[in-house]
Amino acid sequence: MGNIFPRWINLLPIKLIICLGALATVIAGLTWYVATPKFTRVGYAPQQPIPFDHSLHAGQLKMDCRYCHTFVEDSPHSNIPAAQTCWNCHGPGKVKADSPALEPLRQAMDTDNENYTGDPIRWVQIHETPDYAYFNHAAHVNRGVSCVECHGKVNEMSVVYHAKNLSMGFCLDCHRNVDEHLRPLDQITNLDWEAEDENVGEFYARIASKSGKSEAELMEADGIGEGDSLTQKIVGKHLQGLWNVHPPQDCASCHR
Amino acid sequence: MRWFFLVLAILTVTIVSALGPRGAKFTSPPFELFPDMDRQYKVKYQKPSHFFADNQGSRKPIAGTVPLGFVQPIDASAGIGTTNLDFSVGSDYYNTGKFEDFFGEGFPEQVKVDEEFLERGQQRFEINCTVCHGKSGNGQGVVSKYWAIPPTANLLDPRVKALPEGQLFWTITHGKGLMGPYNGAINVHDRWAIVAYVKALQASTGE
Repeated sequence: MGNIFPRWINLLPIKLIICLGALATVIAGLTWYVATPKFTRVGYAPQQPIPFDHSLHAGQLKMDCRYCHTFVEDSPHSNIPAAQTCWNCHGPGKVKADSPALEPLRQAMDTDNENYTGDPIRWVQIHETPDYAYFNHAAHVNRGVSCVECHGKVNEMSVVYHAKNLSMGFCLDCHRNVDEHLRPLDQITNLDWEAEDENVGEFYARIASKSGKSEAELMEADGIGEGDSLTQKIVGKHLQGLWNVHPPQDCASCHR
Repeated sequence: MRWFFLVLAILTVTIVSALGPRGAKFTSPPFELFPDMDRQYKVKYQKPSHFFADNQGSRKPIAGTVPLGFVQPIDASAGIGTTNLDFSVGSDYYNTGKFEDFFGEGFPEQVKVDEEFLERGQQRFEINCTVCHGKSGNGQGVVSKYWAIPPTANLLDPRVKALPEGQLFWTITHGKGLMGPYNGAINVHDRWAIVAYVKALQASTGE
């Protein structure tokens, strides 16, 4: 009786295992590459009903974020401004009142406009957490987390795009190393702020007045001498202590 | 086996190059693998809701009801007073800046004018007012540098200096001339803080 199976069959199971392994690796790799927020969300720059230019308003004119996003300090939700807010500057007789780009605004606000509807402008939401994750803007901006940490340098974007991935890993990175992200409250909406810009004397004076230690003691402990500039780690460490910031890391803090 | 790897490599390269690099700009709504729990059918902040006839998720309070988030007055005879949200309700001086038909002078008893209050006023002034009125209140805000619109009131002008606190509050609340109303953007307490800061700015420029 001859051999039923040819010799190469002996290697078949090993080859199959290798191929299936390679296939699984490639599928996992591709999923990681194209099906995570780093790919699916970063770069999302939808067309808005009015091509509102943040780099002009927040960058060039240096308007504060809170002129329009009025209740970010009071509310979990950072509000899209009411049409009235645009109307404050772009109403009849004011800045660029006749610009064709502002037609949707006139339809919402100008009762003399022939296409007046009075309906809100339908801005397209760019940054949108899943409905099972509850993010609270007020809790963050009132404890030294700047807009820029999650939204990027909006003051340089003529068309706003999704700059950070806002995945769960992104949240946890910050919750675990919060001192790398805190800044003084008066700089929350200054998207260009760097710890190095902070005035050393003023900063330590502020910390010292609330911590019970002297400025000299604090500076010596940090190894900051005359003429040195602050680093994010030092600023963050002091602010974290000052405000007693302990970001929660249990599931129920965000998935409630 | 050689063929398998060749096909796999070609497929991978094709998929990755067809979908483009990470971070590229795109305008279509982001792809979601399992959207069923990501996008739940519930009323959300500033989102439309097809549950309601006018498709607006944000509802106005029904007439005669007290919305959630507002404080119920303990003494019912006192009527609805100040609220958590602190927007104008009621007709007292604190909420209107007026006594009957006249603008009031001085600050209402609900606010305490101290350093903290003035700092709050400065912060709110710089957020909401400097764009037009300028950081010092002289009416030369950034808007006047770029666009020829009718001049903004100089808050340091003797005419404005003479205005009573209540009238400044009323103007912030309802706007005046080209200025829009800020009653929806600044709460009552902060409006008084701005009034206090403007008064301080005026005092700092002398007579």
